[in-house]
Amino acid sequence: MSTPFALEARGLSKSFPGVKALDQVNLALAAGEVHALMGENGAGKSTLIKILTGVHRPDEGSLLLAGEPVSIGSPMEAMEAGIGVVHQERNVIRRFSVGENIVMSRMPRKGLRVDWAAVRSEARRCLAQLDLDLDPETPMDRLSAAQIQLVEIARGLYTETSVLLLDEPTASITSNEADRLFRVVDRLRDQGKAVVFVSHKLEEVFAHCDAVTVLRDGRSVMEAQRLADHTRDEIVDVMVGRSLAALQVPDRVIDLTAAPVLELDGVSTSLGHRGVSLEVRPGEILGLYGLVGAGRTELARAMLGLGRITQGELRVRGKAATIRSVRQALENHRIGYVTENRKEEGVFLEQSVTRNIAVTVWSTLARAFGFVSGKGEQALAGQYVTELDIRIAGQYQNVGQLSGGNQQKVSLAKWLAAKTEILIIDEPTVGIDVRTKRSFYDLIWRLADEGLAILLISSDLAEMVTLADRVAVMDRFTVTGTVDNTHDYDAMSQSIIRLIHTGTAAVAAPGRSKENA
Amino acid sequence: MKRWLNSFVHSQNLSLGIIVVVGVALLGVSSGGGFFDPISVTTFFTFLAVPILIGLAQMITLSVGQLNLAVGAIGGFASCFAGVIVADLGVPAWLGAIAAVLVGALAGLANGLLVVITRINGFIVTLATMTILLGLQYGLVGTRTISNSEWPSLAELGKASLLGIPVIFWIAVAVAIVLSFCFGHTVTGRRLLASGGNPVAAQLAGVSNDRSVVVAHAASGLLCGIAAFVTMASLSGVNQSVGGDWLLSSFAAPIIGGVSLTGGSVAVLGTVLAATIVRLVDSARAEFQLAPSWVNFVVGAVVLGTVALGRVREVRAARAATTPPPGGTSAGEPTEPAPLGGARILATARPGGADA
Repeated sequence: MSTPFALEARGLSKSFPGVKALDQVNLALAAGEVHALMGENGAGKSTLIKILTGVHRPDEGSLLLAGEPVSIGSPMEAMEAGIGVVHQERNVIRRFSVGENIVMSRMPRKGLRVDWAAVRSEARRCLAQLDLDLDPETPMDRLSAAQIQLVEIARGLYTETSVLLLDEPTASITSNEADRLFRVVDRLRDQGKAVVFVSHKLEEVFAHCDAVTVLRDGRSVMEAQRLADHTRDEIVDVMVGRSLAALQVPDRVIDLTAAPVLELDGVSTSLGHRGVSLEVRPGEILGLYGLVGAGRTELARAMLGLGRITQGELRVRGKAATIRSVRQALENHRIGYVTENRKEEGVFLEQSVTRNIAVTVWSTLARAFGFVSGKGEQALAGQYVTELDIRIAGQYQNVGQLSGGNQQKVSLAKWLAAKTEILIIDEPTVGIDVRTKRSFYDLIWRLADEGLAILLISSDLAEMVTLADRVAVMDRFTVTGTVDNTHDYDAMSQSIIRLIHTGTAAVAAPGRSKENA
Repeated sequence: MKRWLNSFVHSQNLSLGIIVVVGVALLGVSSGGGFFDPISVTTFFTFLAVPILIGLAQMITLSVGQLNLAVGAIGGFASCFAGVIVADLGVPAWLGAIAAVLVGALAGLANGLLVVITRINGFIVTLATMTILLGLQYGLVGTRTISNSEWPSLAELGKASLLGIPVIFWIAVAVAIVLSFCFGHTVTGRRLLASGGNPVAAQLAGVSNDRSVVVAHAASGLLCGIAAFVTMASLSGVNQSVGGDWLLSSFAAPIIGGVSLTGGSVAVLGTVLAATIVRLVDSARAEFQLAPSWVNFVVGAVVLGTVALGRVREVRAARAATTPPPGGTSAGEPTEPAPLGGARILATARPGGADA
């Protein structure tokens, strides 16, 4: 190739404690090209973006900017090198105005002073590119989630960039708003810039991108291919990986006549849900699928008393229940919740495996004066370490030293130890390599076979289709429908996507659809 | 919406202002007008300077989500250090005053660097430096009191008035105005607030959070140094007890003034008004000849009440922000739950300077 790439990454590797996030990844971005970066959750897309923008530093590999080797050590250096980014998480300062958030990376100044007039005019210029009629003086905390995302995009347009990285910019905006973004993207392409577009929405990718790189389990399994040469199915196959696509699904028999143990009937919550209805039977795995921001985790939190139910009824084993705290959920109703934020909410990283597993059952283990017997703890933990096949050096090992998959098992073990009968599992395999994933799936099936009712939250469609018995689809804080899982990926993905679209169309007149097709 | 916000910001300061006016009126009436005679007025403002300065010093560390337990220790040590070099080493008084300010700034800088380099919680770091500085202060002066006759020129300044108000009060006001400008209109000030408001967002925008923490602690120490200098000018002498009672009032002023404990906001005018209220409580105590511990009791109770009220407001705001939207178009999308502290807007320093 005669002209050098606008930005090229060669052989990037990056490890975090317990997980190899990137393994010899290559990415080559040509100028005047919109490049799709695809992959499942946890495939390493965000890690790659963070390396390109100086948030993380690679363990191995090199970066070339317009053919010249560069080292990008901080977000500031990335900006100076002409690499702009719209991050996936909404990282805004809520106490600041819209304008100040947009220009924060390079405040217009007169000497030491902030040039507020320039802040406003620059912010207006960026907002105008998105046809966004928003006063730069508006305080950030007055904006909706979609508006915040648009401001994030405007921020990416503020500095002069030759490479713009968009990490799931359309996750929570409407298609109308997304169209404005794509007009800007088209303009940038015409100006000869390189744009990286990360998205889960295949339609968007095929409509607007020229080239594609696919990551799977931290490796670039498809590198800088012309998108026009591939079909959607091919891309999905590469993303999911044949190993997983061909995963054997065990024959599962669910007693459909059994009474549901967990039912939501027209539930609205203080977190924003409207008329959510669903039911889970013993031994059944109900998948809760939806895009980021659909309100799935929030629904779980509301069920555990971390949000209020304002309308409708939550029934546990047929009886209406009011749950005010996680402790109540566990002790009175035997409901457990395996969080998606393993490191922040799921385990005590600085504590031993034993402690982590026993934490939910201290009150049962405790004898007189709250004394907890060490032996009791160890016996209990030992049982689950064997049962879940948790790989540890010893029970005294700190959980922080375990791999992601084993940490997740510890997080799960503590709920099993507490003899839960209803288990809500939130994004169980994010950031876990494919082999561990497989063993985790087996574990979840086994738990269901033993009679646990499982509510599985995941935004990984392949995982849903593999694991769930039925899939309830959520969109914009309501359940738009439930489908029986045929384990046929193509058919399932179509009916699920149709439900997401129905939901969007039905938002104007939210009717409480009676489910169970 | 903006007008509503503005009026809300003002109403916070307004209610504080009303309390000040009512307090002054009550004191004036109950003292039979004695509270308004020139000597009383001078005394009132003279001993208001230090509460304002240390309140602002604490406010700066709170703005980045840190705190400074060493406020009193830095001030006490700086004043004793300056006192000793002037009285025992014959250093000119003005140089002693500069030394007090510099020692304060250096101690603050040390706090900031320790927090950033060791990654130890600022609470522990400043608790430790507080203890160390208290020891050094005692080591310097022991049980003696260095009389202000050692620095007559500074003592003169302490007595001087401008427009009937003590000069040292004007010094505190000047510091407040400069701070208000810094937080509202300088890049450095905005960076401190960015770090305090959302460290991750600040980092991604190229702001160094470490630098913000160091700058905030150093500036906090600098203000303690100025408070030390003001103490030398206004008290009859310095000894090991200087700064001993600063800690509670340094927190009281910004907290009552509306500064969030979680960082990302400042309220200069609010802090000044709240310091004035605390000073009024102290005056009332003197007027009615109550035991000094009453002041601590009242101030402590008010601080606790303010924090509790703030939490109630936060929870309410968070609930209001997450009420289900009426089904509709894109504007009807659910807003995400406001994070704790995010809903607290009353104390935000906004461009345009609603403050001071």
